[in-house]
Amino acid sequence: MTQAAIAIAGVTKGYAGHLAVSDLTLTVPRGSIFGLLGPNGAGKTTTLRMVMNVLGPDSGTIEILGRPADDSARDRIGYMPEERGLYPRMLLEDQLVFFAEMKGTPRAEARRRIPAWLERLGLEDKWRRRRVNELSKGMQRKAQFIATVLHDPEILILDEPMSGLDPVAADGMREALLELSRQGKTLVLSSHQMETVERLCDRVALLDRGEKLLDGSVVEVKRCHGPNSIALAYQGDGAFLGSLPGVIGLTDHGQFAELRLAAGADPQRILGAVAGRLQVRRFEIVEPSLHDIFVAQVTGHAAADA
Amino acid sequence: MRLFAIVRREYLERVRSKAFLIGTLLGPLLMAAFMIGPSALMSKQRGKPLRVAVLDATAILRASVEKALSEQRIAGQPRFVVEPPGEGPLEVVRASLRSTVLSGAIDGYLYLPPDALARSAAEYHGKNVSNVMDLGLLDKAVEDALIRFRLSGAGLPEARVQELMRRLELKTIRLSESGEREDAGGSFLLSMILLMTLYTTVAIWGGALMNGVIEEKTSRVVEVMVSSISPSRLLAGKLLGVGAVGLTQFLVWAGFMAGLSFFAAQAAAVSGARLPEIPWAVLVLFVVFFLLGYFLYGAMYAAVGASVNSQQEAQSLVFLVLMPLILAVMCFPMVLASPDSTLSTVLSLVPFWTPLLMFLRASALMPPAWQIALSIVLTLGTIVVLNWAAARIYRVGILMYGKRPGFREILRWIGRA
Repeated sequence: MTQAAIAIAGVTKGYAGHLAVSDLTLTVPRGSIFGLLGPNGAGKTTTLRMVMNVLGPDSGTIEILGRPADDSARDRIGYMPEERGLYPRMLLEDQLVFFAEMKGTPRAEARRRIPAWLERLGLEDKWRRRRVNELSKGMQRKAQFIATVLHDPEILILDEPMSGLDPVAADGMREALLELSRQGKTLVLSSHQMETVERLCDRVALLDRGEKLLDGSVVEVKRCHGPNSIALAYQGDGAFLGSLPGVIGLTDHGQFAELRLAAGADPQRILGAVAGRLQVRRFEIVEPSLHDIFVAQVTGHAAADA
Repeated sequence: MRLFAIVRREYLERVRSKAFLIGTLLGPLLMAAFMIGPSALMSKQRGKPLRVAVLDATAILRASVEKALSEQRIAGQPRFVVEPPGEGPLEVVRASLRSTVLSGAIDGYLYLPPDALARSAAEYHGKNVSNVMDLGLLDKAVEDALIRFRLSGAGLPEARVQELMRRLELKTIRLSESGEREDAGGSFLLSMILLMTLYTTVAIWGGALMNGVIEEKTSRVVEVMVSSISPSRLLAGKLLGVGAVGLTQFLVWAGFMAGLSFFAAQAAAVSGARLPEIPWAVLVLFVVFFLLGYFLYGAMYAAVGASVNSQQEAQSLVFLVLMPLILAVMCFPMVLASPDSTLSTVLSLVPFWTPLLMFLRASALMPPAWQIALSIVLTLGTIVVLNWAAARIYRVGILMYGKRPGFREILRWIGRA
């Protein structure tokens, strides 16, 4: 299977006065877990809406599983918005059946699939006949997830899937996502939580103000956007760290600092400079985190425009 | 199939709700209270008969007028209690009557000037001179007394006067194709009840549709929905679903009415009282005009719902939508007074008013069939245009959050590709 799950080519979409998405080309490979990143107003939502055929692009093409993004294509997608997304006064079971029906799944079939999903996400059976507004936030999030997957879509688009979940529930959600991925589903996560994306996704794309800043596998992105950085755990006054030669960026937490190095800078010399002035507890040469790449790229993009 | 799923969801969620149950059961009760309440209250307030004295400057009329006054009855009860005016010179008596009225010991006095008989003139002095019904009775009593006096003066025997003074009993007979029927104000009441029901149901179900749209927007459900179905079909499903709820409510009420008229028919056989019957054509037109009104105003309600973020924000725009409906209700007495005048005809052909005013005309005096047909065609055309515009506003509005758009911006959405 060589074709892409989602292929966006040269897509532009403008609203009155400004471009929400500008000449975007992006490929989400089949079976990948794809992180779509970007600050607010980057064009993530507009892009996802075009993928689901809610909006039409001004120019460019979008293909879903090798076919144009039309009404029949969106039945093969499941979409979970960031929050809520359920009728507050409807019984959970009726609601789940209804949303599956909206994607073309027969009612009886949808009803048959519900108990397994409830069990898998740790929702007790008694909640099946309760109104959604009686459920806790975390339970609502799980319910929403079931509503997204019940019609067995090939592509899942999830907006901030981990938000509002306690650590145990977040683990459960991660398990469910990985399980779906193992089944060959394609997952697109839109998120601000870099840690989630870093641990879960194999590919990422970064958008800012309608433009794609970078795109590729997580490993690739990290390699291309090293210079390496240094993780340093220390005790003492670290105020001088940012002004060391070869250091171009610093995130200082007081006892822990992340130093980004200029291309060609020698970590050994920095170790030497630091060792004399601080009590070093850990010194590690690491790849930059996605968070750092994200911030560097977005601020660089803003500076280039200014 | 998906359209049907939406219709079913909208229908079931509303029909199963407590609000529907209460509204359907309480609606007729409230309507009845609204109709019967004021007149019941008025008759209760009328309460005690008025205490009046007769101050007679002619010196010959007092006995006849007092007799006529004491004969006036409302609902079988004497309306006036005649009090003696007191003795003495006219001006003195007058002054004392004045203070008695002001002290509240009597309600008023009737002054018959010296030339009362020649000019047919009299004056009533009282604290309260705004009760039209009582003043009408007073007027009638004095007039009766004067005429009686003149007739007797012309030498007619008492029995002959009595015979000549027989009162008129005016019955109103309503003519229709199906025959004649006596009507004691029932058809006026019926027209009013049906009109208010039409107005209320169009406004309520239009509002329910709007709130549904707002709820889907605030719960972000709409984002999931438009990833499954096109916005215009989603809107169509909601319109149909809520409209079906309105029809269900009518069905329940029709059942009530059938039951009620069954018992009323039995009661009528005993007491002789009659309920106004509703012709079938009027009932059919009621449903037709409800549907026309609902789809016309519903489209606008839905567009408002899509444009705002909360019910509070919707208020001022809702007023714009309701405006034509309220104007139509205000035209009600005028149209009912002359249902077949040119003005009534023209007003009832304006699509925004057709659902209420054409129906009102039909319930009062069936207009020519071509007028009804024309009004329906015009309204259907308007419904098509409005729903087209509403679908376009809806499509843009449901995905807009944040600042409430201005009226002009909403209109601009219609043109957006």
